[in-house]
Amino acid sequence: MMALCAKKSDRRYRWTDALAPGGRRALFLLATIAIVLLFLGPIVILVVTSLRPGWAVFYIYRGTDFTLQNYRDVLATEAVMHAFVNSFLVATLATIVSIGVTVSSGYMLSRFRGPIPRAWFGTIYVFRTVPYISWVLPLYLVCYHLGIYDTYAGILLPHIAVHICFFSWIMKGFFDGIDPSMEYAALIDGCTRWGAFLRVALPSAIPAIAALGILSWLYTWNEFLFALILTGHNTALITVTMAQFVTELGTAWNLMSAMAVMAMGPAIIITLFAQKYVVRGLRI
Amino acid sequence: MPKRKGLVRLQLSAALAIWAAASWGSPAAQAEETLNICHGGHPIMVASQKILDKWAKKESVKLTTTLIAYDVYVPKVTQMLTTGSAQCDIIWHNDDWGQLWQQYLVTTDDVAGIRNVAKQPLDAFWNDQHELTVIPMAHTVGTFFYRKDLISDAEVPKTFADMVQIGQKLQKEGKVKWGYVGGMSFNNTWFTLWWTMWNSGCDIFKPIYERDNKVLAANGWTSIIDQPCHQQIVDFWWDALHKDRIAPEATTTYGRNEANAIFMAGDAAMTVADSTFWGDYNDKNKSRAAGNIGMVPYPIGPGRSKPITWLDIWGWAIPKSVSPAHQALAKKLLGEMLTDEDGQVQMWNETGGPPPNVRVWDRLTASDPVFRKLKEVVFDQDHAHSAYYFANWPRVHKAYSDAAIKALTGKREDIPAVLKEGAKAVHDAAVAQ
Amino acid sequence: MLLLIAPAGIVLVLFQIVPIVFGANASFRDWQLFNPAQTWVGLKHYLYILGDSTFLTIVLPNTFLLTFLSVTLSLIGGLALAHYLHRNFAGQWLMQTIILLPQMIAPVIGAMMMRWVFNDQFGVVAAFLDWVGFGPISWLAQRWPSFFIVILTDVWIWTPWFALILLAGLRSLPREPFEAAQIDAAGAWRTFTHLTLPMLRPVIAVCVLIRSIDAFRTFDVVWILTGGGPARSTEVFSIYTYVETFVNLDFGRGSAAAIIGALIILVVAGAMYKVAGRVADVAR
Repeated sequence: MMALCAKKSDRRYRWTDALAPGGRRALFLLATIAIVLLFLGPIVILVVTSLRPGWAVFYIYRGTDFTLQNYRDVLATEAVMHAFVNSFLVATLATIVSIGVTVSSGYMLSRFRGPIPRAWFGTIYVFRTVPYISWVLPLYLVCYHLGIYDTYAGILLPHIAVHICFFSWIMKGFFDGIDPSMEYAALIDGCTRWGAFLRVALPSAIPAIAALGILSWLYTWNEFLFALILTGHNTALITVTMAQFVTELGTAWNLMSAMAVMAMGPAIIITLFAQKYVVRGLRI
Repeated sequence: MPKRKGLVRLQLSAALAIWAAASWGSPAAQAEETLNICHGGHPIMVASQKILDKWAKKESVKLTTTLIAYDVYVPKVTQMLTTGSAQCDIIWHNDDWGQLWQQYLVTTDDVAGIRNVAKQPLDAFWNDQHELTVIPMAHTVGTFFYRKDLISDAEVPKTFADMVQIGQKLQKEGKVKWGYVGGMSFNNTWFTLWWTMWNSGCDIFKPIYERDNKVLAANGWTSIIDQPCHQQIVDFWWDALHKDRIAPEATTTYGRNEANAIFMAGDAAMTVADSTFWGDYNDKNKSRAAGNIGMVPYPIGPGRSKPITWLDIWGWAIPKSVSPAHQALAKKLLGEMLTDEDGQVQMWNETGGPPPNVRVWDRLTASDPVFRKLKEVVFDQDHAHSAYYFANWPRVHKAYSDAAIKALTGKREDIPAVLKEGAKAVHDAAVAQ
Repeated sequence: MLLLIAPAGIVLVLFQIVPIVFGANASFRDWQLFNPAQTWVGLKHYLYILGDSTFLTIVLPNTFLLTFLSVTLSLIGGLALAHYLHRNFAGQWLMQTIILLPQMIAPVIGAMMMRWVFNDQFGVVAAFLDWVGFGPISWLAQRWPSFFIVILTDVWIWTPWFALILLAGLRSLPREPFEAAQIDAAGAWRTFTHLTLPMLRPVIAVCVLIRSIDAFRTFDVVWILTGGGPARSTEVFSIYTYVETFVNLDFGRGSAAAIIGALIILVVAGAMYKVAGRVADVAR
């Protein structure tokens, strides 16, 4: 068995050896090109679409006319800047509050045993499986009767509820992967459990928190269903503005694509800001 | 123990943040004379609201708008109506769901100008006591459009067979890629299957063109989509897609977006679409066919001797849950909109939305050649309804669409069997619950 | 310990559990959204759905297939991309941003764009294939091609999600074992299978669990691309629920469908997680 493995790794070693260093670099370059094509390509199509005049938004490869009119039309839409501010606040607050209330719950799921963690894990699990479309209308009723329909709270709290599950679980996954012996050492050194968590476990989870923060921010920023059902004109969000371009008589795809491209701006900024924490992690 | 405090503080501040966000986002106290209008944001709705706004200013009433996306419009507004929410003082209403809301809407027989509207489209909006629950905003009708630069007056198709012939001729000559293009996927059924169905003397339930639910029930909600009159429609489209090839094979997946994109790019010679697209088709920025658009009555199939078209409306309605003062105010404004002939002419000019007030029709017929043409091809023809007016209509529409598309994407010899199965599914959908 | 989860718990109860229980109540009633009479009918809706051959022979298999393929492919893609990003090179931040682009536009917009891209007449793919000489392909008019596009779109959207979380996972792993492996001259593949995978296993397990649950109820991508068509052949369980609840306004039957689907994925994903957990424990 050992010999077999050794042989295998031998062969692989020779193979990379033959490629290195020029070949390896070529492989890396190929991968880079493929990634750019696959992930940037569709976005380029979207951007080109948003720059085409009305007759060419679908046949984007016909003709060479480009225009900024779609952007002007979108910016002339009522309350569009308001929607950007609203979406930004809601996404940011939902992310921060979710991290605040769930980092500890992920830690608990990972480090503690007993009925409470088990019940908590089970609760999150059971209620995650029900599709949103089946409970968004009752959710409207809850918000309506709590008097928070069409307020920030009325859209924030449901998003936080959704993130709680996501955060708690994936944080549990991360803490599971972190060796608890360091924390025990800290405990012996006289730290409390909470201190061990803050000084030892939390810093090593920074990449995870940053990654989850990015993903949940983007999720809330781009979310349609809750936004459509739970907001009115006080808390209009960007996705609600986008959805108004879809009518019974068809979609204003030129405006929708322009709006989507504009909405990517803040998303890119947030991602650029947060992703360095994903990469940096422990290795500052 | 002191470390515990850190945790408590963290969570307290989270709670505080939520509370702050909640109180900060609360709507300001609403002024007495503010009316909120909820609609889907279509340009015609916006134009109609502009008329309302003009009158609201005179009454020193403030109008606000809540846009509700079309995809969730019916469930969300239904939920609002059933919970007795006073969020919307005026809502967009449509014949497709005319009957669902009758018990939640204020009656509108006493609105000024309500006698001056077309009668037939109101069929969808009577409540059980035969009182009206709608104020018409604009007519929604389908129209047969063609390219005048490709099809001469003499060649304009009068029958389905003409359509195939002229389409094939144009394609063979290389003048256009496709003879016909139209939407067919779910919720676009009107623009291919249904206009041909009605213009071939057929319908979904027996008896044809009947919309009185009592009569339909007495006939057992029997679907006739497996009968010869309907089977030949499906055969016709199967041939159009796969044999005669006057329309793209993927037509079964097209909605209005795809069909309009292809027509406006100049790749098709004929289409059926909502009459309001006249403006877009003739807009040089949006359409390559601009300036060459013609409008004629529908070609007819074997089962009819003259064309028949549907004539329905979009409207406004007032929820019962709104305070009596607001109800009265809303009625007053809507009455003023309905009698504002200049405003409706302006709406027509800006959006192509046919005015609800029939008196405006006479005025526009005299002054506007496009409206004269529309009146000739739509308002002066025989009329059918574009939907059935009962709660299971969406279920019926979906069952019909699934059956027809299954037949059209399958083998031609399987069509009778698929339609037989479909007729049962449509009947079951009609009597579900 | 309760204090750790109390705030999260309250939000979860109010904005997720209460609406779901409300929906569960409706599933036992004849509850049409517009009809105030909500008569108790017991298991009628459940029996109807479990006797509906479309649900059993088309909807469920489609849902499982979509879940399996989407999760598997995006996991593999995500692992590869995470490894690609887990190295220091100039422009790492740029590639990371590019890879995250699909997460930065709303799935609704992404799906719409894919729908136009694959249109047989004006789609960019159709134009390319036409140019190459294949002629137009009616992608969405047949079952398997449209299913393929649904999966492609879903994988495109969710691969970056895996990539970012797994990258964070890689970044928070301790360095020493890898340094040791390097000294032992272990091949790259061997290091990956014997070191990286086992150490990442907790994170991968929760990622797969949460994505499986979410993929099982994928809605917007399928609804926009195919609407479940042609003729219900690509319908998945959330479309079934949506059509009943939002199109037919039959909240009772829609809720029953949602709960049946939730119970199925609850059992399946739970079993999967248990198995994965055991494998992980053995591996450790």
